[in-house]
Amino acid sequence: MFEPVIASFEAEYPDITVEYNQVPFDTYATTMQQRLSAGDDTIDVFAVDQPNLAQIAAQGFLEDLSDLKDAAQDATSEAQYEINIYDDKMYALSIWNSTQMLFYNKDILDAAGVEYPSADPADRWTWEQVEEAGVKAQEAGMESGLLLEQVEAYYQLQPLVESLGGGSGITGDDMLTVDVTTDGWVEAMDWYAQTFESGFSPRGVGGFQTSAVFTDQKTAFFVGGPWDVGGFAANADFNWGIAPHPYFDGGDAVTPTGSWSWGINAASNNKAAARAFLEYVALNPEGNLTSTETQTIIPANSEAAAEYLPTLEAMGGDNSAGAADLIAYEIDNTAVARPVSVGYVQFEALINQAFADIRNGSDAADRLEQAQQQIEDAWSQLR
Amino acid sequence: MTASRGRPRGGGARRVLTGPAGIALLFLLPALVSLVVLRLAPAAVALVDSFFRTTLLGGTSFVGLGNYAELFGNPDFQNSIAVTLLFTVLINPLQIAAAFLLAVLFTRRAAGSRFWRSMVILPIAVPPAVSAVIWSVIYRPDGLANGFLAVIGIPPQPFLTSQYQALLSIMILLSWIGVGYWMMFLIAGINDIPASYYEAASLDGASSWRQLWAITLPLVRRPLAFVLVADTVSNFLVFAPVQILTKGGPNGSTNLLMYDIYTRAFTFGDINRAQAEVVILVLITVVIVALQFRLLKTED
Repeated sequence: MFEPVIASFEAEYPDITVEYNQVPFDTYATTMQQRLSAGDDTIDVFAVDQPNLAQIAAQGFLEDLSDLKDAAQDATSEAQYEINIYDDKMYALSIWNSTQMLFYNKDILDAAGVEYPSADPADRWTWEQVEEAGVKAQEAGMESGLLLEQVEAYYQLQPLVESLGGGSGITGDDMLTVDVTTDGWVEAMDWYAQTFESGFSPRGVGGFQTSAVFTDQKTAFFVGGPWDVGGFAANADFNWGIAPHPYFDGGDAVTPTGSWSWGINAASNNKAAARAFLEYVALNPEGNLTSTETQTIIPANSEAAAEYLPTLEAMGGDNSAGAADLIAYEIDNTAVARPVSVGYVQFEALINQAFADIRNGSDAADRLEQAQQQIEDAWSQLR
Repeated sequence: MTASRGRPRGGGARRVLTGPAGIALLFLLPALVSLVVLRLAPAAVALVDSFFRTTLLGGTSFVGLGNYAELFGNPDFQNSIAVTLLFTVLINPLQIAAAFLLAVLFTRRAAGSRFWRSMVILPIAVPPAVSAVIWSVIYRPDGLANGFLAVIGIPPQPFLTSQYQALLSIMILLSWIGVGYWMMFLIAGINDIPASYYEAASLDGASSWRQLWAITLPLVRRPLAFVLVADTVSNFLVFAPVQILTKGGPNGSTNLLMYDIYTRAFTFGDINRAQAEVVILVLITVVIVALQFRLLKTED
């Protein structure tokens, strides 16, 4: 995956060689936890799943990179800069970024006599508009109106809550106060539950099966990431288009963001070389761009992204027209990162369970109340 | 005699090492060492860990039975225990009854019985994770199961997305995997019963139902006891289908102890309470298995 970036780095720094080790994503967090807590000095640079940064930094596994703060701020978006800060210190540099867009099936909207949503953020649709158009598409024969790619994931659903001003769910000076029962939370989750209750969104489909629902022409609207542009270009044999991520009428436009950062192991013996490599991949636009060569993922470096996005847009031909400008706009203006908290891991696992239950018919207010209690319990072992 | 030979008397230590007991010990050594290293030591570690608490921001401290007290006061854990017990009470008799009936059926001389037997055993060769993925497609709203129900005129069911059907759906999937396996042991047991017993019973005019009750069932009691205990233990350790299909939901309805331990240890990073849960799970298993042994013994 990282061969191109390693090769180009080694060409530039002939006296440093990079050895790459891969750990499957499912076991990544636990493997790293074990190796880092054992003081494993064979790891120099490692990838940090951004929401887990605080927990890893709190344990002292990450080298303080605060002297690079200015350079980092210049190189990437505000949200992608702040995600690496814990306790006023910077512990990692953002390598990749992400966002979400609204994909729609042009053919079915034509059949239903619905005008397409525009790709211009100024004409961003509300969820209410999506619902209205989706219901018409269902009347025209589409099985369902809308599906979100990661149906039960905080990454995907945080924007619904934040759009209604519900907050991220974590507050307090130490970011260890749960707050998932605000009006915004309940209202957003009530709406989400109702989309499944009414049959507007399909139940029982999850994991990696969701984008296939769109390519199989079983949903009119689909909220997904930049990686779907490549997937749909290859698998969808109908006309589709992209539009900005929707928001609630009267609320804010909010989009998800975030992906992987890289940091330096505090126990490393090669910190100077590790720094050279990390700076090359994160702060050097050329280096950052080569890290995305084998992936459909947005480079976190702004200059690299500007160069990359037109290539991404070209993948889908006419279907993905406007993607480059849209993604660039969202990253700079509407992106809201996941909260930085040492308790994020527990928070995410428990709130995702609540999302799943709400989707399957649990009362939103009651279930959020329960999640509040569960997260407080799980956090009791952190302090 | 063995005792007097094993007792060291004047230079007897050497005799012990070279005597049959010593040789036996040498042969047993690899097994004993691995028993200690792989089973007893981790169990001891679990027990000790369950009395401590390590926090991310605090450090390690001794809390005695504090972890246990907190677990039993936690509604999610209470629910997990209830779900696990309900699951155990339902699935074990069902699987064993099904395995026994299939074993009886497939030991009859009938056309194609070997073929059908192989078909029933086949799911064992499929890794549990793969089975779970196959069944996730079957249970989808537009999946095979609802397609089948539609043919016989039953409306679509929610299966894994309903808190009332999810546990049952997982039991069906587990039985699909497990029944063939347990059936094999029972087939071996049934095949060991001398055919002359049945011939004699037939001459006496016993019905095949009566033969089943009076000959087959009592004579396969040993393999049946093994199947009962092994099946019970393996059903306490069910994990992959829960993780892949339901993640313990909806509303905790499939949150079996094994999955709860996993989330507590590896998702929440709460190793100490997870170890306490391991100890509780082992105790429950031991109690239930001991009960089963007792029940089987009194019939002797």
